[in-house]
Amino acid sequence: MNGCQDYHVTRRAMMGASAATIMGFSIRDLLAAKGRDHAPTAENVILFWNGGGMTHLDTWDPKPGRPTQGEFEPISTSADGVQISEIFPELSRQMHNVALIRSIAGTQGAHGRATYQLQTSYNQTSNVIHPGFGSVVVHEKDAIGDLPAYVSISGQAPRSSYLGQSCSAYFVGSPGDKDPYLAFPEGISQTRGNKRLETLAKFNGRFSGKTTSRKLEATKTSVNDAVRLMRSPALKAFELDHLPLSQFERYGDTPFGRGCMVAKQLVETGVRFVQVNRGGFDTHRDNFEAMRNHGEVMDPALASLIQDLDESGQLKKTLVVMLSEFGRTPKINKDGGRDHYPGVFSCFMAGGGIQGGQVVGSSDEDGYKPKDRPVQVPDLHATLCHALGIDPEKEVMTPLQRPMKLVDGGSPVMELFG
Amino acid sequence: MARTWTVICVAVLTAANSGVVSADPVVDGDRLSKVLNQENAELEVSVKPSLLVDDTAYLRRASVDLIGRIPNHQEIQEYLAWSAAERRSKLIDRLMDDPRFVDRWTTFLADMLRLRSNSPGGAAALAFVHKAVEDDMPYDEMARRFISANGKAGAVPEVAYVLGDNADPMALAGVTSQVFMGIRISCAQCHDHPFDRWTREDFYGFAAYFGKTRRYENQFTNTVYTQETTTTSVLWPPEGDAEGSERKPVLPKFLIELIDSKARPDFIARLESTRKSEQDLIEASLAASSKDASIDDLLLGAADKALDRAKGKKKTSFDVASEARRARESIDLEADMRSQSELRRDLAELVASPRNRYFAWNFVNRVWADLVGRGIVEPVDDFSDSNGPSHPKTLDFLADEFVASGFKFKSLVKMIVTSEPYQRGQAVGVEEAEREELRAAFLAAPARRMLGEVLYDSILTAGHLFEYKHPQGANMKTVSERIRVAVPREGEVITPQSLAAAGNDTAMQGRMKGAMAARGAGYNLESGIEIDFDNILQQAKEKAAEAVVVEKMEVKSAEQLEAERMQMDGGDRRRFRYVYKTVERTYDDNPVFGSAFRMASPAAPQHFVRIFGQTDRTQVGVPRDHSPSMRQALMMLNGKMTHEASRVGPFEPMHKLLVGKNVDLTEAVRTAYLEILTREPADEEVSLARSIVADGDTTLEGMADLRWVLLNSNEFRYLP
Repeated sequence: MNGCQDYHVTRRAMMGASAATIMGFSIRDLLAAKGRDHAPTAENVILFWNGGGMTHLDTWDPKPGRPTQGEFEPISTSADGVQISEIFPELSRQMHNVALIRSIAGTQGAHGRATYQLQTSYNQTSNVIHPGFGSVVVHEKDAIGDLPAYVSISGQAPRSSYLGQSCSAYFVGSPGDKDPYLAFPEGISQTRGNKRLETLAKFNGRFSGKTTSRKLEATKTSVNDAVRLMRSPALKAFELDHLPLSQFERYGDTPFGRGCMVAKQLVETGVRFVQVNRGGFDTHRDNFEAMRNHGEVMDPALASLIQDLDESGQLKKTLVVMLSEFGRTPKINKDGGRDHYPGVFSCFMAGGGIQGGQVVGSSDEDGYKPKDRPVQVPDLHATLCHALGIDPEKEVMTPLQRPMKLVDGGSPVMELFG
Repeated sequence: MARTWTVICVAVLTAANSGVVSADPVVDGDRLSKVLNQENAELEVSVKPSLLVDDTAYLRRASVDLIGRIPNHQEIQEYLAWSAAERRSKLIDRLMDDPRFVDRWTTFLADMLRLRSNSPGGAAALAFVHKAVEDDMPYDEMARRFISANGKAGAVPEVAYVLGDNADPMALAGVTSQVFMGIRISCAQCHDHPFDRWTREDFYGFAAYFGKTRRYENQFTNTVYTQETTTTSVLWPPEGDAEGSERKPVLPKFLIELIDSKARPDFIARLESTRKSEQDLIEASLAASSKDASIDDLLLGAADKALDRAKGKKKTSFDVASEARRARESIDLEADMRSQSELRRDLAELVASPRNRYFAWNFVNRVWADLVGRGIVEPVDDFSDSNGPSHPKTLDFLADEFVASGFKFKSLVKMIVTSEPYQRGQAVGVEEAEREELRAAFLAAPARRMLGEVLYDSILTAGHLFEYKHPQGANMKTVSERIRVAVPREGEVITPQSLAAAGNDTAMQGRMKGAMAARGAGYNLESGIEIDFDNILQQAKEKAAEAVVVEKMEVKSAEQLEAERMQMDGGDRRRFRYVYKTVERTYDDNPVFGSAFRMASPAAPQHFVRIFGQTDRTQVGVPRDHSPSMRQALMMLNGKMTHEASRVGPFEPMHKLLVGKNVDLTEAVRTAYLEILTREPADEEVSLARSIVADGDTTLEGMADLRWVLLNSNEFRYLP
């Protein structure tokens, strides 16, 4: 036995005894603090991860008339008094559904460490790797239906680490394209493939008497799960072929647009956590050109997504979040770029109980520092936990038997919930 | 004691030629069995042991463990042709001589040392370990090098160990104690270890050995290196606890007591004598090499080379005499020491000392656990007062023999795989409690699943996919693909030159990638490119030669740097945008795969071997996860590799048993069982299998169905 694990023996022993009750309340209920004392406001999450550090000044936090403004003008939106950058004309009509936080006080200015913190809530340390937030969500919330609970589109999601392989993301490299692993190999008909599966079950049944691993049962389950997924009508949620051309025109036939369309279908099918990855925000040079191009791609897709989720009622249950590892320097450098800037930056949230049309916190007049209501990075994760009804202080064990909380402190930004 | 590996290496080669000190593996295996049986008797274990596995099961087990794949048809025939009495020992000799032995155990060490192809100097470190296993470099020597190395990533391969944790003293303290001694002290970084003896002061004292090492990065030359400074970064009291008090440098202090230097246990005496005879051999070979090489010597060298080539070794052996001469010229002990960290050199001597029992215990236990399926201490990296060995005498015996052999990895492996505990069968048909008792006493084998790399290579072996099995042009396919094409913006003309000048060859790459991707048609998670380790080591040498130049490089002007950056960035990209086009492509789908052991490691996150348990090697103390997952099932059921392995190619021996004049389904079924499961089918299996084959639209398709089922079966991936 390693020692560290018994460090918190008292508390855990009590947690273990959660079946026991005191005056009719289970001990787990009595101990449950944050996240469990209210009904969840969200069932699933779509996280847009904008890798590279997206400029806050040219997106959600414009600074008109200031030397740090840059090339873009702010535009008014469907939310009273909320202005965003002109690169999002379509999205401006959906801002009554969207809340912005303009006062995130980051601490990490290097991509690796900042990404790590934004994606896990923890600061990077040398002897433990923390799971990404998507893994935390699916550790606490099962999938609804046949599809994997956690899907990562167009890029790698952070690791599940000590939460285990079952909490890692199902990877979709190219949204809308068929995943070859979800169908029998080329040239193998359904009949032939099914016959193979039957024979395989027979062979494995014969073998199970000859070896002694409990894992054989789990192998069987994994094959059954795989086959169920292969045969599931829900798989259509990964595909876009059935959509009319007009949808592609609205979202834009780009990897990002297709990612949004797939993400929408996935949450509608019960997937808990969809991460849509996009890079190219590290705009040390030609920031404005780059952001204009990003806007052209992101604006129609995001606006259509919010609109469609809203109209179908799914937005009530789905929390849409857009994060990046940090913002960018208010000062524009000689290459027309902006450099890394964690001091203050913004994020975007919609749906899943978030009160739209509002802005929480603000940065100072040039976008250098939080002016009021500074929000710490783990506050964001605590906020998501609050929406999903997850206790952020729940402890899980690392391989070295060290108890770790699901979120590294932080408190939910309650204003967002109206 | 500063010894240089090149020299030892010469000694080993010479020893092999002159027939000196060759331990008899069978005898050593028997000695190990006796020690364990004796200890079990003392522990009053009374359960009836499982029988040893039969010859073919042993062949499969040993092939998987020693060369990382199942045996092929020819190897099975050869093995069965040997007399039963000497089969197993002959097999072990053959396997340990196989170049794949080196690949397989490089992976073991890379896991243990957390070497990563994509970390600074990681690829060179992997190549270094590969060479070390090939030459049977003494393990203590290897450990010393990793712990003490300084220098530039890639040029000094061993420095990847320190750079892998960014030269952070706290991380390295935890890693070094856990990896090389099986002692977990990282908890004590933040608080005294609650149930072990380690205090925070112990931790800081140990970390202080790394306190003067710094990591440097030169962004312009894109190099990373370590260097020693004069001040330590490890201070006491710990940050945050200081409360105004002055933080003072911590003096290095080793964690544990070594065996007293006055004591001379038998294994140390034997080690000294082993090392003395190695030394004598070096002297002798140096003396011999000073004479002019005779015609006979040259012929002998040529014969050796020819022999190696015949055995399939990829590289030729080097000339012992000239290598020894070169080694002597290159030994510059002073320079060697300067390139190491003094503190870490001290640490390396302490860690890798034969008098440090934890050092040998830890390693023999890791190798034992890998081969037998369960450690004598479990988890393997947690030796502590509260987690002692289940069989201390057996552990001591293994450690003693390992040290006495001169820390020779191969002799340790040999001893274990020829011993009874390695050869035990599984406890089938007994109650759970008894099974656990049997396993705990090493009297029954646990069920072990193949490593991801082994599974990959075994599918390739069984499916004849290491080489073309279809004639050229027999599998032409047409696919339509979307490719990205660059188009000019208004007012721009696109030419190959303008693309290249803008560094914007993405469009070209897109096309080439398309052509390559077409071969896998969406299955690139199963492909891999083999790495040439020798070439990497050669590059490392060349890098080492330029190291001096780099460190003395003059500071460049801002304009110079800007110009360089422009060049790297590829200049103005704005002139182009991209459109997607759908194109049709015809190609010959005649797949050939390379070995998973030769890929860059860790592989890409969604790659087959990662899905089957290869870790990303970033975290210490995280073993491979051998539990099943849905993604694994999908890759096996629907993957390109299993599919292609199932199809029977005309170049396979089995083909003629399925089509043509001499169809023999029974023989074809037998071949399938031997090739895939390394055993003969039972009678009822033959009739079942025959009906599956006959049930296909053609016998070839029916056989593909049977092979697909066998490859997907649990029997394939779990060892007998």
